[in-house]
Amino acid sequence: MGPLIPNGIVGMEWDLFFALFIGIAFGYVLESAGFSSSRRLAGVFYGYDFTVLRVFFTAGVTAMVGVFIFNYLGWIDMSVVYVNPTFLWPAIVGGVIMGFGFILGGYCPGTSVTAVAIGKIDAMVFLAGIVLGIIGYGEGFTFFEQLSVSGYLGPIFIFDTLGITAGWFAFLLIAVALIAFGVTAMIEEKVNPESGLADTKGTSYFIPVTLALLVGVVLIFTPFERITGVGEMDKEELEKVIVSDNHYVHSDEVAFKLFNDYHPVILIDVRSSAEAAEFTLPGSINIPLEQISSRRWRKTLSEKERKVIFYSNGTANAQKAWLVARRMGYSNIFVLEGGLNGFFQNLENNVKPSDYLHESEFAYRFREKSRQMFREGKLEVKKEQTTSDDDQPVVVAAKGGC
Amino acid sequence: MEQQKSQYMNSYLAGFLLGIVLLMAIFIAGRGLGASGAAKDLAAITVKAIAPEHASKTTFWANHLSGDSHPLKSWLSIEVLGVLIGGLLSGLISGRMRFKVERGPRVRVATRLGFALLGGMLFGIGAQLGRGCTSGAALSGMAVLSTAGFLTMMAIFGTGYVIAYFFRKLWI
Repeated sequence: MGPLIPNGIVGMEWDLFFALFIGIAFGYVLESAGFSSSRRLAGVFYGYDFTVLRVFFTAGVTAMVGVFIFNYLGWIDMSVVYVNPTFLWPAIVGGVIMGFGFILGGYCPGTSVTAVAIGKIDAMVFLAGIVLGIIGYGEGFTFFEQLSVSGYLGPIFIFDTLGITAGWFAFLLIAVALIAFGVTAMIEEKVNPESGLADTKGTSYFIPVTLALLVGVVLIFTPFERITGVGEMDKEELEKVIVSDNHYVHSDEVAFKLFNDYHPVILIDVRSSAEAAEFTLPGSINIPLEQISSRRWRKTLSEKERKVIFYSNGTANAQKAWLVARRMGYSNIFVLEGGLNGFFQNLENNVKPSDYLHESEFAYRFREKSRQMFREGKLEVKKEQTTSDDDQPVVVAAKGGC
Repeated sequence: MEQQKSQYMNSYLAGFLLGIVLLMAIFIAGRGLGASGAAKDLAAITVKAIAPEHASKTTFWANHLSGDSHPLKSWLSIEVLGVLIGGLLSGLISGRMRFKVERGPRVRVATRLGFALLGGMLFGIGAQLGRGCTSGAALSGMAVLSTAGFLTMMAIFGTGYVIAYFFRKLWI
């Protein structure tokens, strides 16, 4: 379902309209909370006003829990949502510089805009400063460039970095937030009993706190899907499956099915499109190795009734593709043993068994016939219908960040 | 700071509402909130206006100015316009509209403004490196559980706490 606009459920024409609407809501809430005041913002660093901490933490946790719940309900596809990528060094250095900017300037970009809206002259100067700073950065980019792209780790998740499940991280974050709220309330009481707390006094927080903790505990047991619609397999499970080694399909089985024009299998040629164009097993779908994880093939690869058989020239690439597919959670995937090379070798090197055991005799004669069929091109096979995924517009992941 | 009963919204409520807004942004547009990116759009058109040839020859600006729509018609710029409008609405309703230079009691207007400019410039540079500011990188990053979000957030606030003492004259 979501995200709605990148998934095409809501038209692109609405994109800027929502941007405006979301911005208005953002700005309204920020100003109402008092973020249009630099002294109030700076207060979080001096202990006389913890509004920033309360708003920031609550907002982050609320949105995170929301994302978690939507994710669980299948309402949002995290592989399409913009997850800001981690560039280790500039993230830290940039953060440190912004820390200086915050203390010296008393605003951050978003809050400065709300302050400008109500007439704060220091905010206007701050905003002008941001633009100048960016111009300076752009002009001096050759100096910054190497740092800015260093330490690239991809769009990684914090729970992976910490080696815990998403659910546990959510619970811990909620717990930390609640503790921070309690501690800062006590500090504020000591430092300045009059201000800050004035906007939170008089309310009993027992119910919300208990609710929040409860939600956190529930989240511990809630799975977090990075790609919606496919349940990702974890490493240990995958290792067990690899070791059990029963994901191979013998070439006889494939030949038999092709031969009889009977399709209880889906053949996937994982070689490049150029190689597949030259020759491919009849009725195959060509999904080059790099495209296995693409959304386009999700339906095809999710097939539960017919076996999905990967093949390449040998076994290596088909095996790689199989690993990718299994890791992503597709379960009904097999690999053609020996690949195309093995397939035809079995047919060519068909040796008449000397002991005339029933099965091996049958196998011998079957392969003779198969070889004939392939050589004389008598195999007429219905082209495998690719599923309706093709008709869907290509989903491009959302772009984001600043 | 002088009011007996706060005219501001309860900060937990504000945080909750902000979280909902952020969630809506993610659900509808597939991205979180942001602010500093709009300043980059402004910077780009400023450079283009002052030195158009230089802008087209420098990769940093040329990349940002490429594309068929005007740089200020970007998601972030429109969103920030919204922030301005939203702030205005809230300010009007609460009667907080007033031209003033907000500063600590021990500092002069000129000093405050000088530091505001410097602070802004630092934030501009830092936000470019960190690929976002407190809204775009830290807050939105927290919502989608990105490592970058938490890293940047800790760097910003950690630094703030470490250096706060040395700049206390600005605020208290």
